[in-house]
Amino acid sequence: MICKWLILKHSKRVHSWLKMACVLFSRPADDVTLNYLYYYSKSLVRLSNSQGHKTINKELNEANMSLVTSLIIKQKPNLIMFNGHGSPNEICGHNQEIIISSKINPAILKDTITYALSCSSAAVLGPDAVKNGAISFIGYETDFVLGKDPDSEASPKHDKVARLFLEPSNELFSSLLKGKKVGDAVEKAKEDMLNNVNYLNTTKSFPTAIYYAPFLFGNYLGLVAHGDNEASIN
Amino acid sequence: MSKNENKEIDEIKKEIVLERLRQIPPNVKLSFGSKSGEFMSSDKLIEEVERNTKIGKKIIDLQMAYLKAFKKGSFMA
Repeated sequence: MICKWLILKHSKRVHSWLKMACVLFSRPADDVTLNYLYYYSKSLVRLSNSQGHKTINKELNEANMSLVTSLIIKQKPNLIMFNGHGSPNEICGHNQEIIISSKINPAILKDTITYALSCSSAAVLGPDAVKNGAISFIGYETDFVLGKDPDSEASPKHDKVARLFLEPSNELFSSLLKGKKVGDAVEKAKEDMLNNVNYLNTTKSFPTAIYYAPFLFGNYLGLVAHGDNEASIN
Repeated sequence: MSKNENKEIDEIKKEIVLERLRQIPPNVKLSFGSKSGEFMSSDKLIEEVERNTKIGKKIIDLQMAYLKAFKKGSFMA
């Protein structure tokens, strides 16, 4: 009986150890838009820790090329989240320093699942990263647009508009942290975005809501995953 | 379709989008993740479309995609 209990306990430990992933966050916050992404991704860092993942959080001026790329090489994270400005070829960090570029280092994302909350980086860098060995690259083929509530005084916490733009993104990465498959995580985020577009189209709770809807719909259309949709961190 | 016809359609799309943007109250703010990270009001969005900038073209594309989806009944009534 004791022996059986020990085997069970041991196998449970091995099981949870196997599921533990290494997760890296790059979270600059050097302008108003990035400050919103920074604020909203705090809960994801907490979730990653609470899920038992080895969590490496590089934020503010630590979200720079030398530190982040050296961590990717040394720690080989399974899952990466980049907040930052971007373009079809690149993702930036603090002070708009390029961290990943399809022209410089697309192979650095080899064996990772990456989510880039940045403009357009899934257009060229995403497919390039996958060609160079990334398991999956999730991001936006077009500009990621963020709406802001004029009454929130740029306080992300009180911003009822920004929440509608950023919560689906958080849902996506939460799903990945919980071991969901890439395809399922993207599908759920898209569903949430469309629900929020419908809310903006129909709500009477604030009169400017309807004007934000086309821009959130643009994020819905732009969100894509390249690579293996069946992949997860499990 | 000839080049001239395409140009004419592009101009019509631009006018439709500009008219839509003119309806947006000035307190609505949007960030396009452009490198400055600034939030833009409708005046700035209109300027981007009028000047045919990269962001302006993206605004036209997403507004037209939204209208098409609306026509198709992709949203809840």
